[in-house]
Amino acid sequence: MTQPRSGARRARDPGPGRLRLDPRLLWALGAGSAAIALALVPFLATADFLPDRALWIVLDVVIGGGFTAVGLFAWYRRPDNRVGALMVATAFAWYFVVAGNTEPAALWTFGQLFSNLFAATAIHLLLAVPSGRLETELDRVVVGIAYVATTVLWLPVLLFSDPADFGCTDCPENLLLIDADAGFTDAYFDALGVVGIAVMVTVLARLFQRWRRASAPLRRVVGPVFLVGGAFMVALAALLAAGLFEPFGHGVTMSIFYACAVAFGLVPYVFLAGLVRGRWLRGRGLGTLINRLGQPHQAGTLRAELARALGDPSVELAYWLPDSGQHVDADGRPVELPPAEAGRAVTEVERDGRPIGAIVHDPALLDDPEQVRAAGAAAALALENARLEAELRAKVEELSASRARIVDSGYAARRRLERDLHDGAQQRLVSLALSLRILRSRVAADPDAVEELDSARGELDQALSELRELARGIHPSVLTDRGLDAALDGLARRAPLPVDLEELPTERLPDRVESAAYFVVAEALTNVAKYAHATRACVNVRRLDGQVLVEVSDDGVGGADPATGSGLRGLLDRVSAVGGRLEVDSRPGQGTTVRAAIPCA
Amino acid sequence: MPVGESVLIVDDHAGFRAHARRLLEWEGYRVVGEAADGASALEAARELRPELALVDVHLPDANGFELTSWLGALSDPPAVVLTSSRDGAGLESCVSACGARGFVPKSELSRRAVEELLR
Repeated sequence: MTQPRSGARRARDPGPGRLRLDPRLLWALGAGSAAIALALVPFLATADFLPDRALWIVLDVVIGGGFTAVGLFAWYRRPDNRVGALMVATAFAWYFVVAGNTEPAALWTFGQLFSNLFAATAIHLLLAVPSGRLETELDRVVVGIAYVATTVLWLPVLLFSDPADFGCTDCPENLLLIDADAGFTDAYFDALGVVGIAVMVTVLARLFQRWRRASAPLRRVVGPVFLVGGAFMVALAALLAAGLFEPFGHGVTMSIFYACAVAFGLVPYVFLAGLVRGRWLRGRGLGTLINRLGQPHQAGTLRAELARALGDPSVELAYWLPDSGQHVDADGRPVELPPAEAGRAVTEVERDGRPIGAIVHDPALLDDPEQVRAAGAAAALALENARLEAELRAKVEELSASRARIVDSGYAARRRLERDLHDGAQQRLVSLALSLRILRSRVAADPDAVEELDSARGELDQALSELRELARGIHPSVLTDRGLDAALDGLARRAPLPVDLEELPTERLPDRVESAAYFVVAEALTNVAKYAHATRACVNVRRLDGQVLVEVSDDGVGGADPATGSGLRGLLDRVSAVGGRLEVDSRPGQGTTVRAAIPCA
Repeated sequence: MPVGESVLIVDDHAGFRAHARRLLEWEGYRVVGEAADGASALEAARELRPELALVDVHLPDANGFELTSWLGALSDPPAVVLTSSRDGAGLESCVSACGARGFVPKSELSRRAVEELLR
């Protein structure tokens, strides 16, 4: 039987293997990349026009191999994440650059045709790390421009330029050349350079902005990539600027090119290092977590332990309540799991196949979802305990809320009943009393009639007085109209013994507080009059620390026991119904003191 | 024709006003007007200048204490006796504070009770 899952969402991380990925594709891509890299080696070795042939062979293998290997690894781990595929694509784009430095004219021309594409895929990769998605419209525009500039807009350069015009007299023949026009190519090349520099500067700004906004765990993963990628952008922009202004000699320009290549080539390696470092830190944290959870710990520290173990201070826990079909926090208050677009990730924790809660964490941890799940599994028992605690708190919260509603609606109902009595029966009996008075003076000459009317009048007064008592017992209207001090003043005046009102609040309090305080005093004074044999009583009501403290004491015989007296019992219920406490201090011979503390925010 | 002191009866229960009028007139008062709420009571008092006002503690638009202090501010204020079918316990301080002459429960209303308070 499956639990109702309304309000709960599955972890949004599909995990390795959940998205269908044919491993043969990865093998084929790896083998293809290795074959191309190796096939290009002899061509590089024999390219007479190329100055640094050995260095080019190294760049061919190290850069192509690095992007391919790390890219395939990332792709295998997270088939749903585009980062791996982008890395592999960058490796293949790099081979165009390499091919553009070989001797055969066809290979040279083909390589030159796409010799800038690697910059576009690298920019795409840098802006997409680590989620694989381009986050903003600006990112998409920049990446779009980069692809167009390095393909469609690059083509005219090949159509109209002869390498010999640019100082490369021993370069292979440009097979795409239609008409060598050095003037046009120069201007066109400069325009493309300006576009390129603008793109690089934008990418740099975006990398810096994203680094500043990144959470701690995210920075561990992307920080090194952004740093090396940023260096690559700076070097590439410098290279384009060198092409524009030609301030340096050929040697300096080549140095910049090699710096550019080194920074570019480091990208996959630092990406891998970031992954390993983040996971290693978390792996170490996991061991500590298991140790710590083995020791007795206080409630509420579970979140802190998980945050420490995962290296993510933003970790939040939500406990699943199957009965009410919702998540609650540690205090039992309902919480909504963040929606997918909120920039948070959710990993659900199960125990014996039942969901017991969810870890809400930074999406950066999803580069290795097993770690989060392992942490969740290690903490499952503690989480289950915490869940039961939270469930209990939620029930208590719910109960006190419903009790407060019942008290309030009871209060309103009693007020209504008192008013109905007052407006109805009481008014009619009053009118009857006035009629009898007139009648009595009209028949003053008839002693029998007068006697009869006086007797009727006596009965009527009794009925009126009983009705008044009843109405006041239901709800004292003076409490609503004039407040607690006037109502207690009335109680004191009606009491059969002297009552000192010492301290009373002059401001109005919430209805249910005033009502509870009033009935405490009324019941206590009734008890004093009935049982205490006291000569005086004393009433004290004051506000202290968000509470109203009610105290009624007498100098009587003491010995009152709330367990036996139904009046005190009822009072206990009435006070606890508004979340208050009642205590009775009544040692024999020491008088009785009834104290109530009623919460009053 | 009654020639006694003039009285204004202020109460939102028409039944009580009718019975109080009959009783007070029977006992020699001259009931010059009735009002069902505070605002019309104030207007009637300005116009009719009664010597005595019998005012219910509970009125729809105000309470009897407020009305009593408004009446006390008139140039020729009536003596005010407050009344209610509820008992007056707890109202004593309010009764004297607002300037009323006293309180009589509705069922106890009589010339003698009123004169007792006015003395």
